[in-house]
Amino acid sequence: MNVMFRSKWWSFGFRSAIMLYFIVLIVLPIIGIYSQSVSRGFVPFWESISDPLAWKAVLLTIKLALIATVINVLIGTMSGWVLIRYRFPGRRILNSLVDLPFALPTAVTGLMILLLLGPGSLVGELAEKLGFTIVFHQPAIVIAMVFVTFPFVIRAVQPLLEEIDKSEEEAAYTMGATKFRTFFTVIYPSMLPGVISGAMLAFSRALAEFGAVVLVAGNIPGKTLIAAVYIFGEIESDNAQGAAAVSVMLLTLSFIILWTVNLIQARRPGK
Amino acid sequence: MLLLALLLLITAGCGKEQSSQPAESTAQNGDVTLVIGAYSVVKDAFSELLPQFQTYWKEQTGQKVVFQESYEASGTQARAIAGGFEADVAILAMEGDLDKISDAGFITHDWKSQPNQGLITKSIVVLGTRAGNPKGIKDWDDLTRKGVKVLYPNPKTSGGAQWDINAIYGAGLKKSEEETGTKDPAFAKKYLESIHHNVESLDKSGRASMAAFEYGVGDVIVTYENELLARIMNGVKYDIVIPKNTILIENPASVVDKNVDKHGTRKVAEAFISYLQSEEAQRTFVKYGFRSVDGKVAEESKDKYTVPEGLFDISYLGGWKEVRQTLYSKKGIWYQVLAGI
Repeated sequence: MNVMFRSKWWSFGFRSAIMLYFIVLIVLPIIGIYSQSVSRGFVPFWESISDPLAWKAVLLTIKLALIATVINVLIGTMSGWVLIRYRFPGRRILNSLVDLPFALPTAVTGLMILLLLGPGSLVGELAEKLGFTIVFHQPAIVIAMVFVTFPFVIRAVQPLLEEIDKSEEEAAYTMGATKFRTFFTVIYPSMLPGVISGAMLAFSRALAEFGAVVLVAGNIPGKTLIAAVYIFGEIESDNAQGAAAVSVMLLTLSFIILWTVNLIQARRPGK
Repeated sequence: MLLLALLLLITAGCGKEQSSQPAESTAQNGDVTLVIGAYSVVKDAFSELLPQFQTYWKEQTGQKVVFQESYEASGTQARAIAGGFEADVAILAMEGDLDKISDAGFITHDWKSQPNQGLITKSIVVLGTRAGNPKGIKDWDDLTRKGVKVLYPNPKTSGGAQWDINAIYGAGLKKSEEETGTKDPAFAKKYLESIHHNVESLDKSGRASMAAFEYGVGDVIVTYENELLARIMNGVKYDIVIPKNTILIENPASVVDKNVDKHGTRKVAEAFISYLQSEEAQRTFVKYGFRSVDGKVAEESKDKYTVPEGLFDISYLGGWKEVRQTLYSKKGIWYQVLAGI
């Protein structure tokens, strides 16, 4: 009896501590942004987000983040696969390199892209000859986003791949399925949740990327200005309310995406 | 792999200048600490000027001055001081930023009534091109040509960049005045639009813009003369093109009353500001590419600096208040140019 009582209190205290932590660290700042965005009433809020420069920036961000996510899904799934399924020299080093984009300050990423792909570099000159520029145009933004969000899909896919029951796969082969069919009917469905959640994290992160993009994008409104840089501009010109309004657009979008993913995954049978 | 790692190390080392919050002071008894809040462009010149002032002050009073220095983009610095960063003196890129501090109640005297209207340096807005000027840039008109890639910073994120945009807008006004006899704002806006059309990158600060130019982006950069002269002094080869019509840049400095009274440093702070206007300091500024506010030093250095024929100052555009209203207000001309309306 006494033990149960104590453990109940223990669990209550533990839960409250976590709730408090969560509220102070995440919920409060987000409420702050929402209330800041309507601090001068709904009319200025509407004016801020209906500003063509603002929504063009948001649309461009979504478009480029989508492209970056698709690239990451393709490359990330393949990399995860290769790193789990194949044994080759240097695999462990490669596997630990995957997380490096998280450790690198994003401004350094931007600088690196400038140096490696900018005018005067080998790749930059080649692109110039083919008739397009990478740096200060949209390709550079996508590259920056891909680099920064690279680990998400790989890290989400890897544990699922490791969990796959080898016998299911072998059974498929014994029953005469081709390699192709085995992959798409047996292996891929088990990887899918990882691919989706990794992609969503990558997408949300790409939406918010600032440090690398501000260096490699031309930041011209309507052409190469993404939302995060637009928000920075509004803060710098003392328009905190406008900055918050556009942030709210991004936040709401991210929230809807993350929530949908949760729903989808919750409905998945057996998970 | 090793090469890449090395490259990263190098690039990390030469990243953007960090915002140096004041280093810890080593003040002892009898020493006096002066907190300097400045805009980033003067950093190089100050590395020479501050020790000079230390010697000067030691000779005058026997006191040792310890500096705490902070260099930021002008607008950021102004906001920091207005928000409570306890700088004793503020050295900023433009009047409007000092006004922010006045409006917050930290500067209580009329800084414009100081000698030289409170200004410590001048410069002009010029065009920088690649060595040898391969695109044959001679004046603003050439920036509207097809295939010329232009760089200037975004005046929304960098207050100092407003000088660059003012120069273009003002040159448009001048041009319309030459042709029709009256200043035509519509023409000036079109002029700005046609140059903006060729802009390759709208960087967040003058320094970022210069860095992009250095990486090989663009054919022309619109920037301050002193920035270009400083780069050329460091051995980078650029050509400076002085347009016929351009704006005179004026950089103010002031004692921040509330902070000096709190720290008890009014005397040394005031001495520092007037020292910056002394001949000795002005010569140092000239060395770093600024134009002097001191008549005598300006006369000495007139071989180094051509005065463009159509030089105008901010009053030609109606003064800062008017400029902030017409150009940079929420739906002002700059916004219209960006949004294409």
